[in-house]
Amino acid sequence: MSIDSNFSDPRFAVDREALIARLRKVLPVQALLIEDEELRPYECDGLTAFREMPLLVALPENEAQAQALVKVCYELKVPIVPRGAATGLSGGAMPHRDGVVVSLAKLKKIIKLDPVARTAVVQPGVRNLSVSEAAAPFNLYYAPDPSSQIACTIGGNVAENSGGVHCLKYGLTVHNVLRVRGITADGEIAEFGNAALDAAGYDLLALMNGSEGLLALITEVTVKLTPKPELAQVVLASFDNVTKAGDAVASIIAAGIIPAGLEMMDKKATHAVEPYVKAGYDMNAEAILLCESDGTPEEVAEEIGRMKAVLEKSGASEIRVSQNEAERLKFWAGRKAAFPAVGRVTPDYLCMDGTIPRKRLAEMLIAIADLSQKYGLRCANVFHAGDGNLHPLIMYDANQPGEVERAADFGADILELSVAFGGTVTGEHGVGVEKINVMAVQFSLSEISAFHRLKAAFDERGLLNPGKGIPTLARCREYTQTRAGAALSAPRF
Amino acid sequence: MQTNLADFIKDTPEGREADAILRTCVHCGFCTATCPTYQLLGNELDGPRGRIYLIKQVLEGQPVTQKTQMHLDRCLSCRSCETTCPSGVKYHRLLDIGRAVVEQRVGRSVLEKATRFLLCEALPRPWVFKPAVKIGHLMRPLLPSILADKVPMPSENAPKPWPQPRTHKRRMIALPGCVQPTLTPNTNAATARVLDKLGIELFEPAGTGCCGALRYHLNAHDQALEDMRRVIDAWWPHIENGSVEAIVMTASGCGAHVKEYGDMFKHDPAYARKALRISELTRDASEIIAAEQSRLVELLRAASAGVGQRVAFHSPCTLQHGQKIRGVVESLLAAAGYELSPVADPHLCCGSAGTYSITQPTLSKQLRDNKLAALGAGSPAVFVTANIGCQTHLQSGSATPVRHWIELIDERLAH
Amino acid sequence: MNSLIKDWTDQLFDAAETGRKLNIRGGGSKSFYGGAETGDLLDVSVNRGIVNYEPTELVVTVRAGTPLAELQAILAEKGQCLPFEPPHFGPGATVGGMVATGLSGPRRQAVGAVRDFVLGVKLLDGKGELLSFGGQVMKNVAGYDVPRLMAGSMGTLGILLEVSLKVLPLPVAEKTLRFVMSEADALEKLNLWGGRPLPVSASAWSDGALTLRLSGAEAAVAAATLKLGGEVVNAPDAFWISVREQTHAFFAADAASAAPLWRLSVPSVAPSLNLGTTLIEWGGALRWLRGGDVQLIRTAAEQVGGHATLFRGEHALKVSTGVFQPLSAPLARIHRNIKSAFDPHGVFNHGRMYPDL
Repeated sequence: MSIDSNFSDPRFAVDREALIARLRKVLPVQALLIEDEELRPYECDGLTAFREMPLLVALPENEAQAQALVKVCYELKVPIVPRGAATGLSGGAMPHRDGVVVSLAKLKKIIKLDPVARTAVVQPGVRNLSVSEAAAPFNLYYAPDPSSQIACTIGGNVAENSGGVHCLKYGLTVHNVLRVRGITADGEIAEFGNAALDAAGYDLLALMNGSEGLLALITEVTVKLTPKPELAQVVLASFDNVTKAGDAVASIIAAGIIPAGLEMMDKKATHAVEPYVKAGYDMNAEAILLCESDGTPEEVAEEIGRMKAVLEKSGASEIRVSQNEAERLKFWAGRKAAFPAVGRVTPDYLCMDGTIPRKRLAEMLIAIADLSQKYGLRCANVFHAGDGNLHPLIMYDANQPGEVERAADFGADILELSVAFGGTVTGEHGVGVEKINVMAVQFSLSEISAFHRLKAAFDERGLLNPGKGIPTLARCREYTQTRAGAALSAPRF
Repeated sequence: MQTNLADFIKDTPEGREADAILRTCVHCGFCTATCPTYQLLGNELDGPRGRIYLIKQVLEGQPVTQKTQMHLDRCLSCRSCETTCPSGVKYHRLLDIGRAVVEQRVGRSVLEKATRFLLCEALPRPWVFKPAVKIGHLMRPLLPSILADKVPMPSENAPKPWPQPRTHKRRMIALPGCVQPTLTPNTNAATARVLDKLGIELFEPAGTGCCGALRYHLNAHDQALEDMRRVIDAWWPHIENGSVEAIVMTASGCGAHVKEYGDMFKHDPAYARKALRISELTRDASEIIAAEQSRLVELLRAASAGVGQRVAFHSPCTLQHGQKIRGVVESLLAAAGYELSPVADPHLCCGSAGTYSITQPTLSKQLRDNKLAALGAGSPAVFVTANIGCQTHLQSGSATPVRHWIELIDERLAH
Repeated sequence: MNSLIKDWTDQLFDAAETGRKLNIRGGGSKSFYGGAETGDLLDVSVNRGIVNYEPTELVVTVRAGTPLAELQAILAEKGQCLPFEPPHFGPGATVGGMVATGLSGPRRQAVGAVRDFVLGVKLLDGKGELLSFGGQVMKNVAGYDVPRLMAGSMGTLGILLEVSLKVLPLPVAEKTLRFVMSEADALEKLNLWGGRPLPVSASAWSDGALTLRLSGAEAAVAAATLKLGGEVVNAPDAFWISVREQTHAFFAADAASAAPLWRLSVPSVAPSLNLGTTLIEWGGALRWLRGGDVQLIRTAAEQVGGHATLFRGEHALKVSTGVFQPLSAPLARIHRNIKSAFDPHGVFNHGRMYPDL
């Protein structure tokens, strides 16, 4: 089943046997999977609602093999779907039925870590967390920390421009990457950015970040490493209603505080996660906020004091400050495990990713509660509140007929509302296949066309991850027509 | 995750259990990060999430071949993934169910059958295993290296005797186990001596043999259940009369398995109650000793012990992931004055994993060598662990002595 | 604004039809930078004003022709700033020019560049289409990151109409310290300090002295001052402005002699390049150079993993050497393709970046 995976494209008429014969010549035998039995486990990434059997799966062991593979695909006009750890939540690594899934999981070397220059050169299959682990002896770390950082890889982080719980202060992936080396669709090696802070020409490095595998196959990344702050402490504040919590977020920023992290979870989310993590969250609270300060001990003490004052004034019912590093990590562990932990209370969920102006958080929470009623589906809310980035987790049961479609409609409503509130349909998870339709709500046909021209500037034949990120113009027209009838309780754009 | 199990299994107890487990998995992929084989091989099919998918398609009635079997065989059953999984997927149960179905569907080659038969027949029986090791030991110089490596070396430390029989009010049962009496007889003796000093009598009821884990993980479920019934029968009189307060496990592999007896017999009316009671009474030795820590500390203070050695602890998967006991042995060693050397990637398996070192020699050796490198990084004098399998496996690749932690506690108290 | 756009679209179509070029210019303060201006003047300075400013959202949306000084004054009223300290290079500097040149000032080493703060853009492309990318929120990965692509594109891709920028609170406390030391010592110290959690917000070494600025909470600045030592510089703003605006003695001294000024962007750990008189910024990552051999400079920059820009120089030299480091073949091809994706008739700012764009 899938909500809508009709990506068959007549442009790609691939002779599978001929392709296999060619690829056998450039890849070791264990690096090419061809049997259905081996291919099916690759049919989806972290978003299981969208699935497609790949034509083949390739697991190149080095850049040379990857390049040879891309050249064969270019010559035979075969689509390529890059894949890292497949933890993505927008279906960016969902296979193409006429294409080769290229897993970069075997490219997992940290090529060089320079503690003086504070940079690391890594292969795309290196896990986010293992960069920080490798840098830890030098009191450095890699700042972007998506919740899946234990498993997700740097290549995927660049492809999605991943954020995390600390990006309000430390930036997204795009702010923490100096250079990306990759293979273009025609099999050329290209370097975007360099070892310095900027590069000559257009900022193609910025384009690579968040390009969802549509512009090049990433084979190497130079990341910046950040000195670990002397101290970090987190304030855990409880609220007896979500509106107060939402307003507290805006008040903190309004007070001129830029917290190192500012996160919010509602009751459904804390109740899902607490049994597993035992983070010590207040089970009576309707919402909790995690508000972190880092810096020198004096600086942190001063800032925590200011944060507490704002939170108290905003009506927090309980305020706790982490007393040591173990407790701080425990507070965060609950937040980081929140998505999958929801799997304990529901067989399936869709995770939304809209971003809105902070001041409208409370309003959005109320709207989501209404939609939850309307669709008869539960929804847990986990927000990167400081960035206004929402992650409503819509719970459903894929084994119940009609539920996945209802969940998808519920999600579309939230995303359209995000746009109507002056925000975007995706803050950090990417468009993938999941949000490809709602792109039509956020962008005009001219803008979508411009995206297509930009794509063609890198990949004229459209072989890299086709069907993702940018909708076809026909799709946009179709979507705006069908959704025009859908009733929305909030004002439309 | 959406499921649609095939008719052949849908309405069986296994089918229902598998369906429930599959539906808790949300395919987040966190598990791949801590899976030893995924970290080595980088193929989705060699990680928990891929294996869950492979099992799912088998249970959904898709064709299955030796490819699926190979990827399932490569799993160490270390359960590191379960520790990582935020959704609470009971992976090892799904794997047991999946492996059994695949075994039925695909079968095994003659050679594989023979190996598995030998392992099933020899290892769980001390009276077969002991002479076999002796012969292997004598033949060792003549064997090709790949095989010679597999002949375990009995511990060089001569076993010290059990304590003089004393009647303590508190009594506990110990399991001799199958290979432990031959390879590391000092482990249970040391446990008995330590408990004796803590005022607890340890004894081994006769007629137990193997706890059943070995055959269970070789997919010989029926034979394994026989082993388990034998153990239950041997213990039950002592439990029934209320004379023992706990069952002490000195091999975490056995401990993890015995703690699941209750689950495994829940559909067997004759054994369900007994099995459940036994699981409830079962404790790892570290849990028992930790509960007596204040008394232990007094004893340690009284013993004129000097500064302890620097040691590196390898927590067996069956201890940290299977039984979810973490940091307990480490704190006991620290309390006894040993200096703990830091170990990278402590969650990863050493590659022993029951009979894995024999069925998957290449992966097993890679994992062992990685583990030995991690253990040796801080130049400790001794490697310490809590399971016979890990102990002999690590020892086969290292000149540094590998010992059971209880021996170290015992030695501190002996001074 | 509608009539302006109509007017510009007419000019654009006319130029495209007749094969003429348009020279987009705001305040003209950075006309010296990049390749020579060619074509008919398109004055965009009339398109000015703040569209929306919400201090609590840390975002300002502003028309591209708005004078930079005006924007900064409005932000300062609310205790906020453009954290990357953009250089003006003249009283007429506009927000659009700031984005198009992509130049950042001393604080870039600590907070990031212009491109890191561009959240959204509205532009008129070479097909006469009104396009809007990005937005007013902190995180946005819908579609390719065109807003950041615009930063430093030298106006070659379209006419910027509106820009949304992330802003930050002004630092609570600042202190500037000075240390007498050699270039090699300064580079070593800068990299050492860079690896520590110190609130260093700017650095400049020239002529045997390293000047360092600390910014942040009172407590943090005080603690770092104690740790680092050095001599406290009084009224340091003038110094940092002189570095930013290139009125500092290093820049002014030889300006009259018309010796070219090179900007070398290199890894902070690159050793002294020994190519001539140098001023170092950004913790070692930016090296300014007066005069020197073109080939040596370009090669040296490339060898250490960076690039060299002929920042100021005579027209003839710019033509013979190119302003920007030459691109590899795959990148050059992608550049041409991107140019024609946005400006198919090659109307905008022809030659300001590379001769063929």
